[in-house]
Amino acid sequence: MKKVDKKVADQYFKIRTTMIIIFLAIGFSVSFGVAAFADVIHETGATIMGMPAHYYMGAQGAVVTFVILLFLNAIISDRVDKKFGIDDKQNEQISGSGSGH
Amino acid sequence: MDQQSLVSLILILITFALYIGISVYNRAKVTSDFYVASRGIPPFWNGMAIGGDWMSAASFIGMAGTVMVLGYDGLAYIMGWTGGYLLLTFLLAPQLRKYGRFTVPEFIGDRFDSNPARLIAAIATIIISFTYIIGQLSGSGVVIGRLLNLPASTGVMIGVVVIAIYASLGGMKGVTWTQVAQYMILITAYIIPIVFLSLQISGNPLPWLTYGNVVNELGALDRELGLSEYFAPFEEGNKAQFLALLFTLMVGTAALPHVIVRFYTVTTMKAARWSGAWALLFIALLYLSAPAYAAFSRFVIMTEVVGSPIDNLPGWTEAWLNTGLLEIADSNGDGVLQWEELVIHQDIVVMATPEIANLGMFVVGLVAAGAMAAALSTAGGLLITISSSFAHDIYYRLMRPDATDGRRLQAGRIAIVLSTIAAGLVALDPPGVITQIIAWAFALAGGTFFPVLFLGVWWKRMNKQGAMAGMLGGLSVTLGYIFLSMAGITFFGIQDTGAGVFGVTANLILVIVVSLMTPPPEQRLQDEVTDLRYPEQMTYKDGQVWMNDNSDK
Repeated sequence: MKKVDKKVADQYFKIRTTMIIIFLAIGFSVSFGVAAFADVIHETGATIMGMPAHYYMGAQGAVVTFVILLFLNAIISDRVDKKFGIDDKQNEQISGSGSGH
Repeated sequence: MDQQSLVSLILILITFALYIGISVYNRAKVTSDFYVASRGIPPFWNGMAIGGDWMSAASFIGMAGTVMVLGYDGLAYIMGWTGGYLLLTFLLAPQLRKYGRFTVPEFIGDRFDSNPARLIAAIATIIISFTYIIGQLSGSGVVIGRLLNLPASTGVMIGVVVIAIYASLGGMKGVTWTQVAQYMILITAYIIPIVFLSLQISGNPLPWLTYGNVVNELGALDRELGLSEYFAPFEEGNKAQFLALLFTLMVGTAALPHVIVRFYTVTTMKAARWSGAWALLFIALLYLSAPAYAAFSRFVIMTEVVGSPIDNLPGWTEAWLNTGLLEIADSNGDGVLQWEELVIHQDIVVMATPEIANLGMFVVGLVAAGAMAAALSTAGGLLITISSSFAHDIYYRLMRPDATDGRRLQAGRIAIVLSTIAAGLVALDPPGVITQIIAWAFALAGGTFFPVLFLGVWWKRMNKQGAMAGMLGGLSVTLGYIFLSMAGITFFGIQDTGAGVFGVTANLILVIVVSLMTPPPEQRLQDEVTDLRYPEQMTYKDGQVWMNDNSDK
């Protein structure tokens, strides 16, 4: 066991929390945000991929964004863990021995 | 039995044999096999199993039809049922995984150090999962009944027997691998028809790229008929109801116990994040296809079926007219079928479209096998959840803490058999419309659990009084609003399916206010919550964070 500087530990938590807030904000704006203005967008007649823009966002745009966000989160989080010296093998070992109750 | 029924039946039997074979091969030997598959499932496969677990009869059979009938307003289901995975993967799954328990009630009981809270959570879990499973059993009954020309109730009985066998044999380990197989079957069955439809209509085999034009043409056809355009927003409800439904489905998705428990089957927080990402990718394949399915089948019906003489309709109409799910009336008496004279029940769209478009017996049979896979995989996951709430949380943690591994496994298996029989009996005569019951299950899950789990892992000051007040208050407000709106009293035009908005709000306020008015939880519990901020290798202890680098070994 090695003590982690409080600043480093706090920084880890802050990076992870900021990521979550940004990702959720993007996720909510492509779903709730677009739906809240669907009637306005409909009237402008804008289209994406050949269909009305608000319809496209509901049927494909929002879902594709969600998938991209989750993969970005998984990839970036792994990088952050690595930067802070976290070894996934160790994690597996700890979680395997610690939770067998 | 006609040739079509025979082909469909053979396909369904082959897939059933596959599921039972997998669960026999992966038989559970110890309790952790049974509940969490020994926590050894790799994220990619776990993601696929979550996909199979998640996509139920409602997604497979009902969703495309809902979008076809409601147009833009049906898209709340597409966004809500996928967006929930954002909340789940960002806010709950990794933290719950690090906390390291078997079930949702066990997390709540241990996090707040309260057996009454554990009991409330266990009972709520059973209620939510039981509500959900009734829909699955009715769905499988409809498919089997339609194929074999049997009453739907006989179909339900056949489905019940198959599910009980493989869930009680294999436990979570068996269920995980059968769900992987079921996902592959259901996604193939869903995508093949729309690929053929896309080829027929536009000559391009990628439906996701081609149906945009079809959507526009549908709008033009609607304008000609003087109807509101297919893609016009909020024609079937108002904006508040759309947003409330979207919110309810999203939050409910993140708080459904049978989905959360899947994140306990992986090894680490990192694996939980990757599981969430893979799961949503696999789920999105079906959810991106549903609006294409809806657009193509509406297009085929509007251009090829409508306008044909009413006494010379295609062969497929007869069987569906007999089920009462399709109605045709020549109301203006001109002998020709008009769009307005056709009433299509939304649950038959996915099943009937391959027949309408003449895709052949094999494709029609495959869709039937896919629908069964969707219903059975979800029912299997739900049964494990009900059984663990009873056998683990109530029997082992509350009644008999000294029970042996063998006794607990046995209790789990008995709970599965009993709840399958009970749910089967209710499903023989379902208490309401299937999609509506399922929407209630989401409202109840979100209203009871979401704020409690969310603040439970993020806010260390939250205590047991807050948790109990939140769960009970959220549950009763959600139930109360469902009953009120069924009786015709609504606020802001929000209907019963959007009840989660009120439940979650009440729950959140109660948790915060009651927690702050009562003493804080003891330091040990607060430290456990702080510990969830960091990966497994970092531990929070005595106000310090420690890194486990194996130096003391």
